[in-house]
Amino acid sequence: MTVPALEFLDVTKTYHRGTYRRWPGGQQVAALSEVSFGVAEGEVCAFLGPNGAGKTTSISILMGFLYADWGRIRVLGFEPGDVRAKKRIGFVPENFAFYKHLNAEKLLRFHAKLAGIAEENAAKLIPDLIAKVGLSSYGKLKIGRYSRGMVQRLGIAQSLLGDPELLILDEPTSGLDPSGRKEVRDVILSLKAAGKTIFLSSHLLSEVEQVCDRAVIIDRGRVVRAGTMKTLLDTGDQVEIVATTLPEELEAVLREWGATVKRVIAPNVSGHSVSVPSVSIVVSGARKREIVERLWLAGSDVLRMNPVKGSLEDLYMNLVGKGDAA
Amino acid sequence: MRLRTILRTIASNTFGIFLRDKLLIVFGALFVCVILMMMTPLLTLRARTTVSNMEGMQTYVLGVVSAIMYMVSGAGSLLAAWAAADAVATEMKSGTILAVMARPVKRWEFLLGKYLGVLLLMGCYVVMMFGLSYLLAWMGGQRVLAASWILLTYPMVRYAIYAAIAMAVATLAHPVLSWVVTLLLGLGAMLVVPGEEPITKAALRWLSTGLYYLLPSTQFLSEDRFLNIKQATLRQTGWAEHLLTLTYGVDYALVVLLLAMWSFHYRSLKRD
Repeated sequence: MTVPALEFLDVTKTYHRGTYRRWPGGQQVAALSEVSFGVAEGEVCAFLGPNGAGKTTSISILMGFLYADWGRIRVLGFEPGDVRAKKRIGFVPENFAFYKHLNAEKLLRFHAKLAGIAEENAAKLIPDLIAKVGLSSYGKLKIGRYSRGMVQRLGIAQSLLGDPELLILDEPTSGLDPSGRKEVRDVILSLKAAGKTIFLSSHLLSEVEQVCDRAVIIDRGRVVRAGTMKTLLDTGDQVEIVATTLPEELEAVLREWGATVKRVIAPNVSGHSVSVPSVSIVVSGARKREIVERLWLAGSDVLRMNPVKGSLEDLYMNLVGKGDAA
Repeated sequence: MRLRTILRTIASNTFGIFLRDKLLIVFGALFVCVILMMMTPLLTLRARTTVSNMEGMQTYVLGVVSAIMYMVSGAGSLLAAWAAADAVATEMKSGTILAVMARPVKRWEFLLGKYLGVLLLMGCYVVMMFGLSYLLAWMGGQRVLAASWILLTYPMVRYAIYAAIAMAVATLAHPVLSWVVTLLLGLGAMLVVPGEEPITKAALRWLSTGLYYLLPSTQFLSEDRFLNIKQATLRQTGWAEHLLTLTYGVDYALVVLLLAMWSFHYRSLKRD
């Protein structure tokens, strides 16, 4: 039986606030309440949730920075913080901080020593990593003079030292411009192709949708949905029919059948030189033929008909509400 | 081999951070200014010394030398406590600790590496102090009559104790508080040394005796005990006494450092 790369079972964590926080009567805040999820080897798993949902707390527990009050946690089969697991992990914390007096080369050499990489191997590896994240021209510049995005790239480079099996990335694209985000996405995709396990916390839902196999959505310290991307975004056999008009009597029938009807402006389609007001009907695939026939009989043009694919953003907004998706 | 690499890497990095620390640079610059200012009257006094006032002048010069030595020695203890508290606190405040602790490094290894970095800094300080002792004595027309190893080892053991205490407190509290607590413990230790007159109240006597055994008795570890500039007052000390005193100091520092490691093992690592 293969050991899951990450295992989080009924994990609970409470923060104590205030000066005399551990004294009786001190304020307690539940950061995680019986959180459970798992990530199999070779999977790319997104960890999503609004700010303050418990993502960074969970990642800190996985890395052994914080201790959970309750629950079972295993990272590559070991307790969090175990050096045998940490040897095989690459980690990018949120808002990465480095020694500002070092330059990229020296910092990576420092981390290579801590990771137990032989000096001769590190000497070959470091320039490649710096080039991979697009910092070759800045290898000798002190980190204190780096921009936020450059620091983030350097964080990703250091996480790749030692060819880790598991990458834990907490907001790896935060602070990056669109081209930087694309580069990071390409790095993640290349790591995915190489069979690495990646646990990725991000607010960029469209990017997550492109690269991840699985997602765990957390809100207020509880997992609200988890599963493979396919199951999360599966909408059954629903289809969307876009037509030029919809007679009122037909609309009433459609609503009885449970269809969703929306007035939209359809973009250019064949036969129309400009965008036109149209009607979008989302309905079960079993009814599609009947509806199209009725539309034609009523004199309406069917502009297009496509299977409905759910988006991660829609799912996220439905589960955790508005105000956080980017 | 792995442990040695980790400790060396963290210690040398810590030392590098200290060398770039603005507060430390300002402290060093002020310190050099004070020493230079005190050297000027020393040189003047030496130049004015004549055969008739030789003894009086010599006493005065030696007093100045002793004052400088005392200041250098006291500043070292303060520096050791500050550096140790700052070494851990800076990593927590900046968040750099997260990247380091994501590597295959155990918490106690990180703390020990930091501690060794502080001792490296203090080692440099002691060597400078050692050179200064000889320079000042030479300027005062005297010779330092103490074995070199005493001037190097005793302050290092004393600084090791202060650094361990400050580091232990810094794992629990703010670095400034840690520094103040270390300072107060040092002062407290001096106050509870048994005097010639016994304490009459039983409770106070018990408290004083208890604190005397609990707090670091760094007065035993003062190199001033052996740093005699006048040959007439030079006291011979046996190896057994040196061994006992230094073992006490090293043991005290180790116990406190172990407490610091234990405390650090259970604390949350996050950006403060």
